[in-house]
Amino acid sequence: MSIWGALAGGFAGTLVLTTALRAGNELNLTRMDLPFLLGTAFTSDRTRAKALGYVLHFLVGLGFALIYYAIFVAIGHSGWWLGAIFGLVHGLFSGTALVDTLLPLIHPRMGTRSTAAPSVALLEPPGFLMLNYGVQTPLVSLVAHIAYGTLVGGFVSLAG
Amino acid sequence: MTKSTTADSTKQAWGGRAAGYAAIRDYAAIGDGRAVALVARDGAIDWLCTPDLDSPSVFGALLDADRGGSFELRPSVPYRVERHYRPGTNVLETTFHTQDGVVRVVDAMTLAGPGLGPFRELARRVEGLTGEVRLRWRIEPRFGYAQAETRIERRLGVPVATSGASALAVQCWNADESATDQDAIGGSVELRAGESALIALSIAHQEPLVFSSREQVEARIDATARGWAGWSAGRDYDGPWRDAVIRSALALKLLVHAPSGAVAAAATTSLPEEVGGERNWDYRFCWVRDSAFTLRAFLGLGCAADARAYFWWLMQASQLTHPRLRVLYRLDGGAQAPERTLPLHGYRASRPVRIGNGAAGQLQLDTYGELLQTAWLYAVSGHGIDADIAGRLAEMADLVCRIWRQPDAGIWEVRSEPRHFTQSRMMCWVALDRACDLARRGVIPDRHAGRWLGEARSIQEFVETRCFSQEKGSYVRHPGSDEPDASLLLGVLLAYGDPGSDRWAGTIDAIRRELGNGPFLHRYTGEDGLTGSEGAFLTCSFWLAEALARSGRVDEAIQLMDQLVGLANDVGLYAEEIEPASGAFLGNFPQGLSHLALISAALAVTEAMAE
Repeated sequence: MSIWGALAGGFAGTLVLTTALRAGNELNLTRMDLPFLLGTAFTSDRTRAKALGYVLHFLVGLGFALIYYAIFVAIGHSGWWLGAIFGLVHGLFSGTALVDTLLPLIHPRMGTRSTAAPSVALLEPPGFLMLNYGVQTPLVSLVAHIAYGTLVGGFVSLAG
Repeated sequence: MTKSTTADSTKQAWGGRAAGYAAIRDYAAIGDGRAVALVARDGAIDWLCTPDLDSPSVFGALLDADRGGSFELRPSVPYRVERHYRPGTNVLETTFHTQDGVVRVVDAMTLAGPGLGPFRELARRVEGLTGEVRLRWRIEPRFGYAQAETRIERRLGVPVATSGASALAVQCWNADESATDQDAIGGSVELRAGESALIALSIAHQEPLVFSSREQVEARIDATARGWAGWSAGRDYDGPWRDAVIRSALALKLLVHAPSGAVAAAATTSLPEEVGGERNWDYRFCWVRDSAFTLRAFLGLGCAADARAYFWWLMQASQLTHPRLRVLYRLDGGAQAPERTLPLHGYRASRPVRIGNGAAGQLQLDTYGELLQTAWLYAVSGHGIDADIAGRLAEMADLVCRIWRQPDAGIWEVRSEPRHFTQSRMMCWVALDRACDLARRGVIPDRHAGRWLGEARSIQEFVETRCFSQEKGSYVRHPGSDEPDASLLLGVLLAYGDPGSDRWAGTIDAIRRELGNGPFLHRYTGEDGLTGSEGAFLTCSFWLAEALARSGRVDEAIQLMDQLVGLANDVGLYAEEIEPASGAFLGNFPQGLSHLALISAALAVTEAMAE
């Protein structure tokens, strides 16, 4: 196992995950736009938010790949299938605690359940399993995260 | 001569609705450079496609009054309506006079500004002017031409409608939404003098919705009005029909697809050329046929940036099919526009309702003349053409030399057998003539200029010997016929031959005599492969005015222009056609070519008056 393999897998995985989410947009399956959500935490300019969001998304993707790597090292195992299972758990965590609960608390432009009469523009919160962005969103998100995890796990084992 | 007063609209009575459908004449258009909404005189928004004007509709009551979806907003008691655009803007003001008082509705599709705003926003501000007036509002969003499932839910306490990757949130202030249910979002507004309410639709596509504060929406409405006023103040025309020309420019700007510079022929699909008939087409594409008028309008009105964007978009789009031209291209530059029908009732039962346009694949030889004329206008106005495009223009001229003898569908896109239409040959001559001139100026390669000149002479010989009736003293629709064709007027406009010649004088007179009815002109009299008939074609009337001016009959041109400007609806807009007896509009709306022809005619007649 190699940390460089994890970083390469994280990059490739994020590339595939981002592409899968965009494909989900184009196929009319979801309104989820992670780069937009991340970028608008730092700027209200739409164009800059998208550009910054993509950079942040890749950094987050690399960060998660390092977490995967740490767990692989801790349990002494890695591989495509294990990565896919990590991706599934990661996807479920993202759709529930991370994006549904934590993101609205720290995102300065995202509404929460207690928001009323906004004085600044607020983004629609994702909701449980990000269902607010479309009923197919959990499916798209899980598939994309499983692909991400598979690639990280595979790259880590290949680099070993 | 009279000055146009199209911006003021208080005099016309509203005809009401028939079986749920407003008259096409009763619509006004608002937009943001991406999407266009049609607002009826009774305050209902019956047409809105998002995210772009060629996307599926979310409000489609225009094509299906029962199921299409709309945004109704009107007093709950009988009322009288007057409306106008704010001067120089695409912000609409509709004033309802009731026995209880007067309220004004300000409608705008807001323009993007600083800060995080919605992907698209349609804002309606209701202002109490006198007394106390109660209004009802009801929004029935029906995504995907009313074919997609639409769910109404709540986010942050705000009612939202979602469908796939599209969503719409309804934020209202000083208006209740007590009538919201599973099918619609609605409620009432009660206003006294000096009070105001606001209803804003935040629209999202492929991204989360954005919710705004009231102050932000109000600020965007005001900024939108300032933005439009600033744009129209920069337009150059200062002739006798200024109001009509500026309104036409604003209407045209609504049809410009801001990201690319492409200009849609109209904002709608399938508004019928004959009520109850089958002549219902999707016009939400960019026609090469309109290119020369578009560029002339942009250049003539001082819209250099729009002219550059349009020309480069046109050359970019046509590169996909080079050296052949498609009749039309999608607003994103794509060449395919497959035609299919939708299971909708149709405007006043005019079916089929079509999306896509089967004319895209036709051979229309006139397009080459229009495109070369466009390039010529662009070049002689001082704009540079790079070597790559210059080479492609020369190759198009080569292609015209090879194909001008083929029968085609003609400018009117007939669905009958292809023919050797006279106007198509004239435009082929225009293509080669402009190519020769561009070569002489050193703009395009001149290697084949000799051949272009020779073929141009052959075309001219064909037209003068085969397409002219000595008996009538007029050019005719195609060899062997004695039918008139209003599109022949384009020969005068694009300088085929001497506009002051007896042949053109005879043709103009024949067209007026055989196709005319007062200021109205029909396109042609012969068969076109379709059943039914159609109204008078407004564009042809403006072409006639311009042809009269260019052939030295300026007084007649002025008189006709005055009549034609008076035919606009209460807010200065035109459809494609008009029914001469009733003045009812027919066809898609607002029609870019009608407004382009108005601008071109106004510029030409004003120039002729100055001379």
